[in-house]
Amino acid sequence: MPTTTTSKSIFSRTITVTLIRSAIVVGFFLAWEFASGRWIEPFLISSPSRIFTSLFNGFYSGDLLQHTWVTFQEIAIGFPVGAIAGIGLGYSFGRSRLLAEIFEPIIIALNGIPRTALAPLFIVWLGIGLWSKVGVVFLLTFFLNFFNTYTGMRQMDHEYVDLAGLMGVKGWKLTFKVIFPAISPYVFTGIRTSIPFAVIGAIVGEFVAATEGVGFFIRMSAGIFKTADVFVGIIVLMIMVIIMDRIAEMVERRALRWQTQTEHIQIQA
Amino acid sequence: MADLAHEAQQSRQTQPDVVIKVQNVSKIFHTPSQANLSALTDIELDIRPGEFVTVVGPSGCGKSTLLKLIAGFSPVSAGRILFQGDEVQGINTRVGYVPQESKLFPWLTVEENVGFGLSPKRFSKADRERQVDYFIKLAGLSGFEKYYPAQLSGGMGKRASIIRALAYEPPVILMDEPFGPLDAQTRMVLQDELLKIWEQKRQTIVFVTHDLVEAVALADRVVVMTHRPGKIKDVIKINMARPRDIFEIHRQEGFDDAYGRLWEIFRHELHIGRPSEHS
Repeated sequence: MPTTTTSKSIFSRTITVTLIRSAIVVGFFLAWEFASGRWIEPFLISSPSRIFTSLFNGFYSGDLLQHTWVTFQEIAIGFPVGAIAGIGLGYSFGRSRLLAEIFEPIIIALNGIPRTALAPLFIVWLGIGLWSKVGVVFLLTFFLNFFNTYTGMRQMDHEYVDLAGLMGVKGWKLTFKVIFPAISPYVFTGIRTSIPFAVIGAIVGEFVAATEGVGFFIRMSAGIFKTADVFVGIIVLMIMVIIMDRIAEMVERRALRWQTQTEHIQIQA
Repeated sequence: MADLAHEAQQSRQTQPDVVIKVQNVSKIFHTPSQANLSALTDIELDIRPGEFVTVVGPSGCGKSTLLKLIAGFSPVSAGRILFQGDEVQGINTRVGYVPQESKLFPWLTVEENVGFGLSPKRFSKADRERQVDYFIKLAGLSGFEKYYPAQLSGGMGKRASIIRALAYEPPVILMDEPFGPLDAQTRMVLQDELLKIWEQKRQTIVFVTHDLVEAVALADRVVVMTHRPGKIKDVIKINMARPRDIFEIHRQEGFDDAYGRLWEIFRHELHIGRPSEHS
């Protein structure tokens, strides 16, 4: 059967897709609301209306804001430091064979450790305050950025470096005008995949031992069966990840615009 | 820069007519699968300033390897290469290089690519702009200064790649089958433009190709290489007047003779081994 794709059919298809998707989401929340208290105990699954009320009350009282602020701080310090350290080390390994030969097996061995299992150690070393969580966030961010950047360095077309070398380009100009642009797709992949893990790091740290933070809030709420508040905490984390990812995506699109601008010009020779 | 120029001058005094001297050079690649792979054996070659030399040979004869050695991308296994009297050790910043694929920096615009080799030490901001502007006009890329390489056609990218190598004015340009992937018409247009630019600038050009017509049409001398292990079989002087008309090159006096001699050497080569690997 011949398939003809007109703009009209594409348009109606988009509408169909959107409609069905919305119906599924709305249907899910309605079923949830309906089931809660009728078929399933509210303390197990809460309900969308209760969650919404808790969210509102939480922010209104300022409690939730304080927890969010604490978690935000842990990520705001641990994530960029971990990312920069990972990118820096990945770059150094790519530049120095000796360094890579010495440390590569060690790093791979360290990577074999389930990193969240180290969270209790960080509490022992750095206390139950901010810095133990910063440590876990750092660790989770660091390895992902390191591996992606190092892969980029190994995959990089070395001819660019050679050509720049012929032109007498070296030092910081070689690093920032040639090598980093060449590996930037890998670097951005590292940054973006590590965002959810940075949040996981902060939460795990707070689960282990803390006096505030969204992770603490979730654990405490679950402990006293305030299930609505557990969902509120999860929503806050979700929003955090989405915002961070959107920002990273914007920066990425701007930095890699040379890649996306591929409107070809039809001119002979 | 001053001491480089001084050294260069000294070496010119001792060897006035040679810019690149390839002495007894061999190159062996150590591959994990095969034992040692001999790419070049006992290469002897003198290239004079201002000369247009083409290097022609079957695939896998090591002609690209020779260029890479002159550029200093990888070290020789035996012998030595003198560039303006100095032995090439490490990246040779006195040559320009035009690779097979254009290899423009995809993250830089056309004008940024062309100006990339113009160091602030040698070129003031104004000089740099003038230089970039001059070469962009010369290559017919006016209006495309702000375009990224991904937005250019193959021929335009190739032009930009060539002027990027010319712009910082190295005394020697090495070209590695630069017109290989282009269609026949575009190729001829670019060959014609290359000769016109060269007539003006008279930089030394070493141009690798597998196309016999191209080799004859462009060159003062054609270096003929044999199959692996790569050796120089012969060097043919091309006695054709300049400026040459690329589009009517077959009718130009001396072409038939030169092409005939080249083919005579080359036909024996074709029986030896099937061309399989890339040079």
